Amino acid sequence: MRAAFREALVLVRAGGRRSLLAGAGVLLAATMLGTAVTVSWSLATGFDRSVKAADLPDVIARFDRERVGEIDAKLRALPNVEATSYRTEITHVRLSGGTGSTPRGVVQVVGPGRRGYAIVDGRDARGDDDVVVERGVARAWHLSVGDTLSFGRFGTAQVSGIAVSPDNVAFPLATTARVYVAAQNGLRRGTNMALVWTHDPRRVDVTLQQARATSFGVQDLRFITHDGVRVLLDQAAGIVLALLIAFSVVVLGAAGVMLGVAAYADVQRRLSTIGVQRAMGFPRGTIVGAYALRAAIVALPAAIAGLALGAFLAARPTSDLLVTLNELPPGSALLGPLATALIGTVALVAATSAWPALRATARTPVSLLRGAELRGAAPGPRGRGLAGPLRLGARLASARRARYAGTVAVLAACVAIVALLLALASLLVALRDDPGTLGKRYATTAVLPADQLPAVRQIPGVLAASERYQVQGADSYSLGEPVRLIGYPGDHTVFEAPPLAAGRRVAGPDEAEVGLGLADALNLRVGGTLAVQLESGGEVRYRIVGIVRALETEGRVAYVRPDQLLAAHADADPRIAVRARPGADQARIDQGLRDLGATPVAVRGATSSNREILATLASLLRVIALVTGLVCLYALVQGLTVVALERRGTIAVLRAGGAGAPTVTRLLLGVVLVAAVPAGLLGLVVESVALAPLVGNLAAGYADLVPRASIGQALIVAAGLIALCLLAALLVARRALRGSIVEGLRGG
Amino acid sequence: MTSPIVRAQGLVKTFGQGRAARRVLDGAALEVAGGELVAVVGRSGSGKSTLLHLLGGLDKAEAGTIELAGERVDGRSERDLARLRARRVGFVFQFFHLVPELSGEENVALAARLPDAAPGALERGYELIERLGLGDAAGRMPHELSGGEQQRVALARALVNDPAVVLADEPTGNLDPEAAAIVLDVLREIAAEGRAVVLVTHEEAATDAATRVLRLRDGVLAT
Repeated sequence: MRAAFREALVLVRAGGRRSLLAGAGVLLAATMLGTAVTVSWSLATGFDRSVKAADLPDVIARFDRERVGEIDAKLRALPNVEATSYRTEITHVRLSGGTGSTPRGVVQVVGPGRRGYAIVDGRDARGDDDVVVERGVARAWHLSVGDTLSFGRFGTAQVSGIAVSPDNVAFPLATTARVYVAAQNGLRRGTNMALVWTHDPRRVDVTLQQARATSFGVQDLRFITHDGVRVLLDQAAGIVLALLIAFSVVVLGAAGVMLGVAAYADVQRRLSTIGVQRAMGFPRGTIVGAYALRAAIVALPAAIAGLALGAFLAARPTSDLLVTLNELPPGSALLGPLATALIGTVALVAATSAWPALRATARTPVSLLRGAELRGAAPGPRGRGLAGPLRLGARLASARRARYAGTVAVLAACVAIVALLLALASLLVALRDDPGTLGKRYATTAVLPADQLPAVRQIPGVLAASERYQVQGADSYSLGEPVRLIGYPGDHTVFEAPPLAAGRRVAGPDEAEVGLGLADALNLRVGGTLAVQLESGGEVRYRIVGIVRALETEGRVAYVRPDQLLAAHADADPRIAVRARPGADQARIDQGLRDLGATPVAVRGATSSNREILATLASLLRVIALVTGLVCLYALVQGLTVVALERRGTIAVLRAGGAGAPTVTRLLLGVVLVAAVPAGLLGLVVESVALAPLVGNLAAGYADLVPRASIGQALIVAAGLIALCLLAALLVARRALRGSIVEGLRGG
Repeated sequence: MTSPIVRAQGLVKTFGQGRAARRVLDGAALEVAGGELVAVVGRSGSGKSTLLHLLGGLDKAEAGTIELAGERVDGRSERDLARLRARRVGFVFQFFHLVPELSGEENVALAARLPDAAPGALERGYELIERLGLGDAAGRMPHELSGGEQQRVALARALVNDPAVVLADEPTGNLDPEAAAIVLDVLREIAAEGRAVVLVTHEEAATDAATRVLRLRDGVLAT
């Protein structure tokens, strides 16, 4: 081991520029890795982390105002209840402070007991003059601890603390601004909000079922569980976060491929040295150990720097995104995953360096000394095979198979990631703007009486119009599982047609098509029964005839006929869904609806159109694109520089024979193109058939969501790759031509 | 003697700076006519290879003039020098400098593919392969060829563009006597065709093959 370590140090020192190049490769790949780890870990664990930090209750119950004592008696009698606390929520309060104000303020008067929110700055409200402001409000209005906040008719108070509660997204993504004040003498005027913590959160549905059964007399009772909160948050940005996390996982894999391939290729370059070492009598173990250790020595500082840089680059936009979701950044908890990534990086680089060394040492020293890496002769017809510097460059690059394959693999990974990135950007825009991503074929809704339907259908450009019912409920057996019921009197596929994954479409009033997300959550199958407890207290039951791949609310939807909804949920006011003919003038349709006395509402996509969250997402994607682009350029320049370094003798001979700058540039262009062309094709194919479905499946396995690059995007990637090839060839040619021919002949 | 193809006068070249500076050429002069094979001998480090590099326009002299086939070498741009080398000069190196990724035949054809290659260079290359007895070896990769075969491939490559001047730097330095004799025979033949051949060597057999022998000592050439 000591001999291997000593030899490894010799290799590092002797490597000089090559060691630096190898380290630069590790640094860039580790930067990608650091970005991916930061984004995926921070976002994936954001909700759970914030729930824990805020001590969010397992169930939040809202109801018409009741006396605390009565509610408390009912709750204390329920099974599995560990603790309770109460608040009184006052809505539509005019709040103003700092640089902002809103008439849609929500003041929560907090009773004694567990709080259910985390104080991130300052302290909790204690006296009459204290108010705790939600972080989103504080950021939007530039409020700090010590500032004054006005409550309209309730007077003013001083901001004593800033709080985060992940039971909703942050203001202004959430339209209401929330603040907390302390109840000085208990909640003597009653409560309309109960916070319940359970002994076993997995059995919360048992508690809820019992609560339903014993809630007689409590009006307008609504429960929300962690799952319900999560669904609520997902309506704002869930699919986007899922896509980002899935993308980061793919980037993580790509960075691993790059690290492994680069380390493998680096040892392949040293086969003749290994041959000399074997000829001198070095034991196999020493050589293999030396190359593994050498790789680890080079990789360790580079990986530390790269991971730190990646984490630094991604931290700010990721943190901003978390803030808009009312979630907390991971802080020092991120060190664990980053340390794991560091160990993984160094281990991967060491292993992929040891492997070719192990294989090489199994061969005879003579075969290594004679250019073991070179492809054997392939004599062809005389006069064919070499048509100019471009093809010569191609031959120089492709003759060393392992390295060539490595370069192709790295570039293909870059191409695939960039193509995926572009496709993802388009998908995010579509999710924001295009209701079609939700399977919706109508673009407008309007509130109108049903007898106006014939008039709506007469508006020029309208293809179809129908009543659309949307009712929220929870699974009757598992009350923590929210369900959205969507009802159309006729064929709903005219207006909403998520792809059918199993079974058939709804044909009768007792049938339902359920989303795959709901089917997975509740283990539902075609032929089974869907029972839904409505918010009104009534229950509806349907026979499941089909499973659909719906994106809306993570697939926790069911398409039904409205008959049962109307019977059980009398206040289910429908909207009129209006589907336009292809190419119809939407403005004219909107005017027609206005003429009928309705206000047309454009149907939204699957994500929020909030400017702040979109800007944050854009900056995150920019960071990932920048790092990926740099890795791609590095792979090209590194590959070329190594070829130019190793082939400086060949280049010098060519120059001695009369080759000028254009010839040398074309030769180097041939070196990069022979790798870039197959890599481009391979990368695009990999993106299309593997990565896009993988990301779609990881992000939204319950829906058909595949961020596949379009032909236009593929062409953009191809053009970018060729531009990078040209740039790399020019850079390296310039450098190669600056060197002396004589030096080249001596070195080569 | 017919008019010289290679003409160099007052060549000065120094390596290093300050107290470490070493002037390896100090007014060296040389004339080589077509049909001549001139051997330049001298101790290691005496500047033989440097002289060859200057003659071929691979390096620049601090002073002095060089003419190849009536064209000035000194003072030209790198682009012009590249063109001159392609048309007028053939190089043969001690370590062959074959491109390891290309077969022997492809190495020969390489020089014929350059933008300033002479017309018919490729055909000439194939003729040279046959003439130098490389018919069977040409399809093999350099690492599969013997030293003598590699040097003959390098010779064929140097002659592909029918250069007026052939500059050979220790062409037999890495060869056994038998292979060296073949290479020297070829050099003599190509000189006899009217080319000016300058051969840098420290081997007696090589000097025996030369028309003239010049000794490089203290930076100047002497007979």
